[in-house]
Amino acid sequence: MADFETIKINTLFEIPALNRDVMKDSSPFVAAPAHQEALGFPGELVDDWQARAIEKFGELLEKSRALRVYMDGCVKCGACTDKCHYFLGTGDPKNMPVARQDLLRKIYRRYFTFAGKYFPKLVGAEDLTKEVLDDWYSYFHQCSQCRRCSVYCPYGIDTAEISMAAREIMDHIGKGQKYCNEILGKVHKIGNNLGLPEPALIDTLEGLEEDIEEETGVVVKLPVNVKGADILLVTPSADFFAEPHVDGLIGYAKVFHQAGVSWTLSSYASEAANFAMFIGSYEQMQEVAERIRKAAQDLGVKRIIFGECGHAWRVAYSFMNTLVGPFDFLDPDYPVPQHICEFTWDLIQKGELNLDKSANDHMTLTFHDSCNVARGSRMGDTPGGQFEIPRAIIRAVCNNFVDMAADTIREGTFCCGGGGGLLTDDLLEIRTKGASPRMEALKEVVEEHGVTHMAAICAICKSQFSKVMPKYGFGMDRIVSLHQLVSNAIILDGQTGTEAETDETEDVATA
Amino acid sequence: MAYELNGKTFEADEEGYLVDISAWNADLAVLIAEDENIEMNDDAWEVVNFLREYYEEYQIAPAVRVLTKAIKKKLGADKGNSKYLYELFPYGPAKQACKIAGLPKPTGCI
Amino acid sequence: MLSTIFAVLFYLATAVFVVGLAYRIRLYARTPAPLKIPTTPAPITRQGVVARLFREVAFFESLYKANKWTWLFGWVFHAAMLLVVLRHLRYFTEPVWFWVNWVQPFGKYAGFAMLAGLLALWGRRFLVERVRYISGPSDHLMLVLLIGIAVSGLLMKYVAHTDIVALKAFVLGLMYFNWQPLPSDPLLLLHLSLVLVLMFVFPYSKLLHAPGVFFSPSRNQVDNPREKRHLAPWAAALDANRQKAGSE
Repeated sequence: MADFETIKINTLFEIPALNRDVMKDSSPFVAAPAHQEALGFPGELVDDWQARAIEKFGELLEKSRALRVYMDGCVKCGACTDKCHYFLGTGDPKNMPVARQDLLRKIYRRYFTFAGKYFPKLVGAEDLTKEVLDDWYSYFHQCSQCRRCSVYCPYGIDTAEISMAAREIMDHIGKGQKYCNEILGKVHKIGNNLGLPEPALIDTLEGLEEDIEEETGVVVKLPVNVKGADILLVTPSADFFAEPHVDGLIGYAKVFHQAGVSWTLSSYASEAANFAMFIGSYEQMQEVAERIRKAAQDLGVKRIIFGECGHAWRVAYSFMNTLVGPFDFLDPDYPVPQHICEFTWDLIQKGELNLDKSANDHMTLTFHDSCNVARGSRMGDTPGGQFEIPRAIIRAVCNNFVDMAADTIREGTFCCGGGGGLLTDDLLEIRTKGASPRMEALKEVVEEHGVTHMAAICAICKSQFSKVMPKYGFGMDRIVSLHQLVSNAIILDGQTGTEAETDETEDVATA
Repeated sequence: MAYELNGKTFEADEEGYLVDISAWNADLAVLIAEDENIEMNDDAWEVVNFLREYYEEYQIAPAVRVLTKAIKKKLGADKGNSKYLYELFPYGPAKQACKIAGLPKPTGCI
Repeated sequence: MLSTIFAVLFYLATAVFVVGLAYRIRLYARTPAPLKIPTTPAPITRQGVVARLFREVAFFESLYKANKWTWLFGWVFHAAMLLVVLRHLRYFTEPVWFWVNWVQPFGKYAGFAMLAGLLALWGRRFLVERVRYISGPSDHLMLVLLIGIAVSGLLMKYVAHTDIVALKAFVLGLMYFNWQPLPSDPLLLLHLSLVLVLMFVFPYSKLLHAPGVFFSPSRNQVDNPREKRHLAPWAAALDANRQKAGSE
């Protein structure tokens, strides 16, 4: 792995010159047989992998209209070539969305089309060789499935669908990715990505209750496995474990407390994330989602609310009803599922939260739209609610908010660089380089508008930024949870000492 | 990969986390720490020992906040914060300290 | 002899074009879309989706967001080609439909716009490094084919006129099975041969982007997964097993 201590930031959206195969050797650890077999995949690369790969590919083509149409439809217009953050960060032409797709498309043409069978050279069809498989493994793990390219493609070709299919094929021939597959095994066994067992979860939450009481003088509960509660909160397990995630969790708890609703977490479904989406497995995705349905039924809740997690919200909003619905046992007066931002914004609109905006005056905020929320889901009743609601909440709890450059936010948002199953140390180089477009846009508002912090609503984004921001010269504490801002501003009934929490690493005076 | 210590081989995964947690001992911790360019001073030992105690009870490394609170109790407020823990373990107290403590790497969106 | 060969080829090309395309469209239509994957923000009603697809097909909305030059060249080429094709209907209709006469004056000059768009698109394949990298032989050949059709057509219109009355008789003869001789003007034969090639390759090439855009789930799906349960047939089978397991 190359050494890349601090990265020079390019001018905003300078399109790099091509740097062929520069990221060829960037590939994640291969899943061990135990990780593979736990998910029903072959332990290691099978002997007849070529035949099995083609067979699986054919099956996927029959099962997915998207894959079929996207394999045929590309005209190589080049619209997507400068849209991928990994291309912008590396200059490797195989990180241009069309070229990434072509890694699979050339095999499609060779084995599934007339032209490719008889005139392979003419249409760029190729045999499935070991070199091609190596390219697949490298470059389909340099796609965070953020869908930015699909916004700009005149046919809506979504590289995420293609990289999911490629990973599904690789899993079925015994070449899975360690990070995703090991984690999925833990979810099946323990209920969350971390492998956090129930006693540890309870201990951690009790610690947070103590912290909140110490800070506010108010007893705010973080209940687990409470039967008959109205709301089941499903949140990424990183919210229990990592910074700044945990501050967001405290924020949800305060909001629920102030709303006076009964709510609970579940130790059985103690994970919002569903990494099965990253590996393109419908069956795995269903199995993971089923835990949430089961927890909701066993606890007898009326509503399901999701915490801040990008791809989890895509799976929850767009897929969950399909995968494990119908949810006819829940209260039909509320959307199934709901996002915590929808819940909080609803309360703010009704004036049910007592908010002191000045509690966040030591910060000037910007907001990072997480890719799966932005381009794979919605919040509220109108298209684009996923952009408006989080911003409306920030404006309601902060005095200082500035958006980043228009083509780097909302539907054009850049991935943090760690999505799609890439948030692993063995991919740190591509993660860091892929973050560069976001870092450029951030740098601009930092310099021109004095932005001090960036808020996000995704566990992956938060972890990724706290890891890579220092490489761009920003402090790791510059990334915050959106509900951390709510937590700072909210004044609980009976709260003592309402000044803002002092942030010990803070060096910016009040605005 | 693997670690060699006093003629014995200790198997580790690609990233240097011990495969067999029970094979861990203090000398091995020093060796792993050397590999990570970390000097095992008393404070670093406090962290590692706490991780192992916590793991023994809960089969998982503690959350960052649980760890900082515990260290705060043991070493005082000036050291019981994530800034100090990152000084001790620049690659992150959770991941790097777990490696030295012979514990499995925490996984997930962290 | 020549007339017979061309007549047979045109019947064959039409069959390949129609059957090939129909087969492909049927395949697209029958392949299920297991999950809701519209690129959001997406319309929340069917009418909204129709409007989205219309903007996509008529104005190339996404391409406009992506790259203004490619959009300009691509849109000019496609719009001009549409006019040119409509103008050509005068050779297939007798009496000529009234609105085809309206198109005629625009269609005549649209040939130049079409050629200009094609040349600009081809230029990008050489001049822009990224587009050069992704261009394969078939991408160049497809442009050469279309440029050949445009140039031979323009030459007949503006330089060396062909016997258009006899050509129309040949075309109508093909349509009504009352075969007439084809003028053996080399430019015309070239023009027609290239059109034949285009018809033959259409269902087996990237020209499938034309029907494909209507079947693209990221563009044609309604954003309503919370309100309405979406279930593909093969997923419904899994679903039945799941519910059976759940009730046991």
